[in-house]
Amino acid sequence: MSLLHDLSKDRRVVVYAAAVVLALIFIAVFGLKFGLDLEGGSYLQLQLQGAVAQVDVSPEKILEAQFHGTSVEKHGDSYFVTVQGKVDSTLADDLGYSGAKIVERDNTSKVTIIAAPETVITNYLKKSLDADVKIVGVAPVKYEIRTNVSRDSLNAILAPVGGSVPSGEDAFVEGVTADTVDETKKVLDSKLNRLGLQDIKVRIVDNKFILIDLAGMDVATAQDVVGKPGKFEIRIQTENNQTVHVLYGDAVESVDIPQGDRQGGWGVPFMLSEEGAKVFQKAAIDAGATKDPDAHYISMYLDKDEIFSAPLAAELAGSLAKSPVRNLEARVGSGDAGSQKAKELYIHLREGALPVNVEIVGSGQVSAALGKQFKVQMVIAGLIALLAVAGMIFYRYREKRVVLPMITTSLSEVVMMLGIWSLAGWQLDLASLAGIIMVIGTGVDQLVIITDELIRGGEASALERSIKERAAEAAAKAGTAIAPTSSKVYLGRLSRAFSIILGAAATTVVAMLPLLYMGFGALTGFALIIILGVFLGVAIARPAYGRIIGHILGTS
Amino acid sequence: MELEDIISKYPPRQIMLLPIAIIVLALISLSVTYLNTGSPVRLGIEFTGGTLVTVPQTGTEDTLRSQFEGYPLVDVRNIGSRYMLQFGPMSDSDYARLAKQVNEKYEGAEIKHMGPIYSKELQAQVIRYLPISFLLMAIVVFLVFREPIVSLLVVISAIADILTAAASMNLTGVQLSLGTVAALLMLIGYSVDTDILLSMRVLKRKGGVDEKIIGAMGTGLTMAGTTIAAVLSLIIVSNFLYFVIPSFSRMDVIADMSTVLIFGLAADVFNTWVTNAQGLRWYMNRPGKATRRQKK
Repeated sequence: MSLLHDLSKDRRVVVYAAAVVLALIFIAVFGLKFGLDLEGGSYLQLQLQGAVAQVDVSPEKILEAQFHGTSVEKHGDSYFVTVQGKVDSTLADDLGYSGAKIVERDNTSKVTIIAAPETVITNYLKKSLDADVKIVGVAPVKYEIRTNVSRDSLNAILAPVGGSVPSGEDAFVEGVTADTVDETKKVLDSKLNRLGLQDIKVRIVDNKFILIDLAGMDVATAQDVVGKPGKFEIRIQTENNQTVHVLYGDAVESVDIPQGDRQGGWGVPFMLSEEGAKVFQKAAIDAGATKDPDAHYISMYLDKDEIFSAPLAAELAGSLAKSPVRNLEARVGSGDAGSQKAKELYIHLREGALPVNVEIVGSGQVSAALGKQFKVQMVIAGLIALLAVAGMIFYRYREKRVVLPMITTSLSEVVMMLGIWSLAGWQLDLASLAGIIMVIGTGVDQLVIITDELIRGGEASALERSIKERAAEAAAKAGTAIAPTSSKVYLGRLSRAFSIILGAAATTVVAMLPLLYMGFGALTGFALIIILGVFLGVAIARPAYGRIIGHILGTS
Repeated sequence: MELEDIISKYPPRQIMLLPIAIIVLALISLSVTYLNTGSPVRLGIEFTGGTLVTVPQTGTEDTLRSQFEGYPLVDVRNIGSRYMLQFGPMSDSDYARLAKQVNEKYEGAEIKHMGPIYSKELQAQVIRYLPISFLLMAIVVFLVFREPIVSLLVVISAIADILTAAASMNLTGVQLSLGTVAALLMLIGYSVDTDILLSMRVLKRKGGVDEKIIGAMGTGLTMAGTTIAAVLSLIIVSNFLYFVIPSFSRMDVIADMSTVLIFGLAADVFNTWVTNAQGLRWYMNRPGKATRRQKK
């Protein structure tokens, strides 16, 4: 077999053959995964609501309004609020200032609060919006508000304390930071994994939307599952090394974003309800933890999994001996590991509640039976397409030595695409199957360009003869031709064919680029498989085809 | 071949009146729709918001309508072995109720819900991304040829393709959906393939312009033929197969996508071998230009 012998020496043909074999191995080993619309299941498209804003407001005015004070002074790190009459001892705690001191003298109270100006603003926004607020930028300080808020509504909230959002586009940007989107995704991931659901895909699109695919579930159930919190429990270690139940998740009123302290330690602050704080105090005293805190571990569980366990802190034990404490903090360690742990615990403490308000943008379901039917229909469409394409090229060339390599090359491009698809673990959905059929259609076009350049279809001098005759003649000569791939004419024609192909391939790729981002990911598969098909075709399959068809036609 | 005769017999200026007329007609169709509906093509449910439900056919259309009386049911269509129900926008709680009801009553239901944010965002995306796609394609074309007039001819042919495809949507009643947007983008990328082939052959090969055009046409028409064959099979399977095999049903996304593609591809054959080819004939045969070319 001189043809095989010659070709086996060509680098392009070897690479091509290796790629096809590799792709087949990938498909065999990793298998093809099908998308939701072919397997059955439901999807949810969520939009994260929130904004990143700058605010112009004086912390003193905020404190004055919050405590109904007559004057507020700032000395160093502390604010001193003077209030006529008595101040409720829980007011400062409620507003988020733990460790505030209240001194009463002559019918006036003086509240001392140790807090940075940004903390005061954050607390005010949190309280007014009933949502999480996080500082995300310095100079200018920016606040990420994790709920649906507009510039106007934020201004309305700031107006009573003489504040406003500065003018300018940058001062109020809708959407949340990339970190927050990522965090939300993690919460969903961990929550759905804990529920033991298989084949869940949580994706982020456009840094604004989260897509969740839930295989084998109808859309009504899916909405329930995503909205349903986990079961959280706090237990305490008793004298004889056993644990007793203290509280359930309903006693946790709020959980704060993890905070690092000056020593690099990390913790997650959370607040108990008044009732919960009393129960917690009683449990600590009953267990003897207030007297010997080191020997009494406080443990937290989510859906029966232990998520935190540490001895009661000595200072907290001291406070608990005297009165209930509402603001607690779960300390997890220091450094990067501590920060990571704190983030995880934060997610768990919230019982799988999402850090940001989300709105369901779209949702839907496909039944498994219908998906299966679509799959069959698409396979039929693919086969019909392949046959139709083969028919078209046979009609033109009337020469099976041209048609067979073309169809084989086209098929092998599909195999390579599927190989990469299964290696990457991507799912084939309805749209990406349509994409494959489009690649068959356009890929063959490029093979036609190569073939015609090589047999000089359309050359002025050869115009009288039909392309069919020339193809047949060229093919008939193949046996006697001498090493055609080394011929200069041949290489010149091939390179001209490739300049056309590259131009055509580039326009297809750039036109498909927007689809990667459009439509909440619904057409990502379509765009990606077309782009991939074009790249594989141009880089691997078509150069090899150029050599093979050159040998077969024996162009010289 | 008649098309070949047209290419060489008449002077380019006369023939060019034909594509110009088609472009004008397409623009008229698009602007009439724009004046009537506020957008150049009719917007599908993905752009207006609402809910689509398909259920297996068990009863008559009337029983179906009565089952969903409390909801904003806009349309019921028979799509093979299934009914497709289209609902207008409704509140989240209504939708949750509807989804539960559909799943209780029917096994194997398909549901697609597009909230107001979805449709608003999608409209914004199309307005943002379609022009970007087109611009990127034009840049690639200019980079490939580095000849302003030749590149411009290719881009004009592409514009004509897209306009014709969009106008054909109005003609055939295909609404703008995610699938049709994908088809339009696909056309932007694909429609220039044969134009690039034609222009390359005319610029880079030796010989007379008309002969080179006719030579390129052999290759180009085969290319169009294979792609049209692939798209036709999509049309048949997504649109008509359920008439033959009753258990099959219509695949909306694929059906819409392939309808737009087939019109775009047909327009592309015309625009490549008439609009672009005549443009090249005129450009290459200009006095001065032609002699310079021949010497190369």
